[in-house]
Amino acid sequence: MATLTDVIARPASYSGIWSWITTVDHKRIGVLYGTTAFLFMLLAGIEAGVIRVQLASPDNDLISAGRYNQMFTMHATVMIFMVIMPLSASFFNFVIPLAIGARDVAFPRLNALSYWIFLFGAVLMHVSFIVDQVPDAGWFSYAPLTEEPFSVNKGLDFWALGLLVLGTSSVAAALNFIVTIINLRAPGMTLMRMPVFVWMTLITSILLVLAFPVITVGLIELVLDRNFGTHFFIPAAGGDPLLWQHLFWVFGHPEVYILILPPMGIVSEILPAFSKKPLFGYPFIIFSGIVIGMMGWAVWSHHMFTVGLGPVANSVFTITTMLIAVPTGVKIFNWMATLWKGSIEFTTPMLFALGFIALFIVGGLSGVSHAVSPSDFQQQDTYYVVAHIHYVLFGGSLFGIFAGIYYWYPKITGKMLSEYWGKTTFWLMFIGMNVTFFPMHFLGMNGMPRRIYTYAEEFGWGDLNRLASVGYFIIFASILTFMWSVWQSRKSRPVSHDPWDAPGLEWSISSPPPAYNFAELPQVEGRDQYWITKERAEAAGTPIRGPEAPVDPSTIHMPSPSYWPIITAAGVALIGGGILVHFGLSFAGGLIAMLGVVGWANEPASAPQEHH
Amino acid sequence: MACSQGQQSTWDAIGPVAEKQLQLFNVILWVMVAVFVVVEGTLLYTLIRYRRRPGQPKPPQIHGHTALEITWTIIPTFLILGLGIWSVFTLFELDEPPDDGPEILHVNVTGHQWFFEFEYPDAGGGKRITTANELRIPVDRPVRLNLESDDVLHSFWVPKLAGKVDMIPTRTNHMWFQADRDKIDEELPATFFGACAELCGIGHALMRFRVTVMDQADFDSWVAAYGPPPTITEGAQRGQQVFNVNCSLCHTISGPDDPGLAQSRLDGFLTGGDVVPVPAPNLTDLRTRHTLGAGIAVLSADNLRKWITNPEDIKQGNLMSQKALLYQDGDANLSDDDIDALIEYLLNVR
Repeated sequence: MATLTDVIARPASYSGIWSWITTVDHKRIGVLYGTTAFLFMLLAGIEAGVIRVQLASPDNDLISAGRYNQMFTMHATVMIFMVIMPLSASFFNFVIPLAIGARDVAFPRLNALSYWIFLFGAVLMHVSFIVDQVPDAGWFSYAPLTEEPFSVNKGLDFWALGLLVLGTSSVAAALNFIVTIINLRAPGMTLMRMPVFVWMTLITSILLVLAFPVITVGLIELVLDRNFGTHFFIPAAGGDPLLWQHLFWVFGHPEVYILILPPMGIVSEILPAFSKKPLFGYPFIIFSGIVIGMMGWAVWSHHMFTVGLGPVANSVFTITTMLIAVPTGVKIFNWMATLWKGSIEFTTPMLFALGFIALFIVGGLSGVSHAVSPSDFQQQDTYYVVAHIHYVLFGGSLFGIFAGIYYWYPKITGKMLSEYWGKTTFWLMFIGMNVTFFPMHFLGMNGMPRRIYTYAEEFGWGDLNRLASVGYFIIFASILTFMWSVWQSRKSRPVSHDPWDAPGLEWSISSPPPAYNFAELPQVEGRDQYWITKERAEAAGTPIRGPEAPVDPSTIHMPSPSYWPIITAAGVALIGGGILVHFGLSFAGGLIAMLGVVGWANEPASAPQEHH
Repeated sequence: MACSQGQQSTWDAIGPVAEKQLQLFNVILWVMVAVFVVVEGTLLYTLIRYRRRPGQPKPPQIHGHTALEITWTIIPTFLILGLGIWSVFTLFELDEPPDDGPEILHVNVTGHQWFFEFEYPDAGGGKRITTANELRIPVDRPVRLNLESDDVLHSFWVPKLAGKVDMIPTRTNHMWFQADRDKIDEELPATFFGACAELCGIGHALMRFRVTVMDQADFDSWVAAYGPPPTITEGAQRGQQVFNVNCSLCHTISGPDDPGLAQSRLDGFLTGGDVVPVPAPNLTDLRTRHTLGAGIAVLSADNLRKWITNPEDIKQGNLMSQKALLYQDGDANLSDDDIDALIEYLLNVR
């Protein structure tokens, strides 16, 4: 076997398309994750647009009921699994090794595998559009609507198999980051000296590893029901549709924290940088993150208050859910105390971070009315929930992610995004977000159920819906200005290594960083190490003016690129895709994946022309 | 608090269940508004007060304050626990109707793709009634509902009467509500809107229903009059024949549904097939209803003609146009005279 793989030498090129396909550099993989997720965001954004145009007036018949169900199903599935999660992953990739003073992640090829599986899984789910059998049962796809005879085409197979493939990617990436954060920290970086973003990544990764197996069980059972004649969720045959709900939400609620903790980490990096004050109550922010991560497992049935679990179960989940507001509040108070007495500079990343806090508060407060189950009986499955989830995931997660994009963009590209356009983007997005989603609270209280493709004029929901649809176009404009400023930035002057006078280690090296990151692994003496370093240099009368000096890259051993991750990923995706077409294809996919793993295991340690 | 009046507004509770739920929401709302104003206000104040000014020295490097941390952990905990305990009491209080009140009316509700079926095991004097999409209830009497589903998940929701409860195959859920005379502004009988609140397929948006609140006497006379439409005219007799040939495979019109027949229709639906019997609304009392197509259009001879001619135009995805032999080629395979006769029979009009 070794002879077979020895003939396939490791790829050696570091430029051109092949260098991206075979890359194992965490920074490049981060960029791949980010750009891919952004493209999917445009797609899911267009789906949102179709929804908003359809609802802009009563009795509208722009699209059919069936098409509408596909739109909201894919909008949510894509935004959650193919936009927010991979955007967070793109920051894990780019930032974590830099922030902990490492040269790469623990398993660089596994990292590449995660990306390629993510891409292929996402593409697999989108093939459903090409064959016009699009998933249409909502993002939590409650059984038995997902079963025969109610589901008439392969849409839900695309959905379940796509998510299974995506889940593989998430778990692989999460394991990688857990090992990386535990093992590859620079000397002196104790756990309680880690930047908050690193902490939140660690908690998120642990949640991912624990939560994804649960949904995987549910999805496999669904695939078995649909393709192999089992009856896990089919009531007529003795199955239990509620089993699906429990499996989904035992995963689904930790998932909510998987979506929000990384942006919370990003915001915790940005607030100190632009207030010129260390984070207030660092240990409390860390511990509240851990507490949220643990309590997130004890609240899943608050998604199921109307299921009829009875007053005892509903009471328990009411109390646990309400208590989770406490650590969340603690985080917000600490962020505000960080700003207090600071020297606050309103750069674009800071505006987005502040927008995150302002909007997340709204989402948190409306969450309280969901936690109180008697009140939730009225709001469940209405536009009130739609408003809540968008304040948390758009106002929260996406604003945090945009804050991160503006903050680290100079580090990633070596170019600065225009502050003028950045602020325009922020204000358009902030206003558009509120115009779109705030009225939905009232729509929900006025009795508008979610997931309806049309409504009669007599219900009186027309005006607020029209307003929400106007808001969509403001958000759309904000995304256009963002894309314009990215395009424009290619011409801007190279940026310094530390444009924000920031506290993190990643700012001590050049922008963009060299492939090896740190010529010499940094020594860490406390939190906000780069502030410590800069201050000491200042006090010694030799202020730091440039990045760490570059060294000859050939003196530092870095992992060589590899073909095997993309081959293995293609095999894994084919196993899933084959179930839709012919099981023979799944078998072929399994063989390819096995070949990929064997090749991977027997690959030479480095490319032939490298001698170090 | 009447923020808005709408057909399905939760602000406008007309019974004790919706009212208690609204009360709780209103308290949370005001607490939320207060927290919002204080927190966002402090945030805004901080941002203005501590914005960076030219030549400003480095701010004090504060790392934390334990007493403050404890304070802002404990205060929200108590606030939250207070609301939580109140919710728990409300949960248990609203679980079942009070024993010491007026006699409880029992109704079994079944969700179908895409209509609601109501069965009164004893509507009065031991009379059993099956009807669809319009729930008639006497005023000032608690109504206890058993909620079930035959196919996928649905959720039963009349915002002005009570929050929703899901309808789930394999389970029998329950809820109750009561319409209070002194909270209804209109004359009786008064109509309130309900809808399915859980995605249940293509027809979900058009799966609505009405609740008609009546005086006990009116209710009793409706119960007494419940029965198949009379066939005294020649047109109605012809309509009955048309019905028996074309509609009776799925629709019952001779009184309450026969459980065995209902089961065979359900079996037909669940096993699939192009032309099979499927569960369909009971039409015995259609002539006394206000709407057709699961609460989506006013019931009139004109609308009924449109519905019979081509239901797909009115309600996308409905099973009638998919499963009935009558609609295999699009429009109903009936002559205009047949349709006229059918309407005369169903609505008991001339």
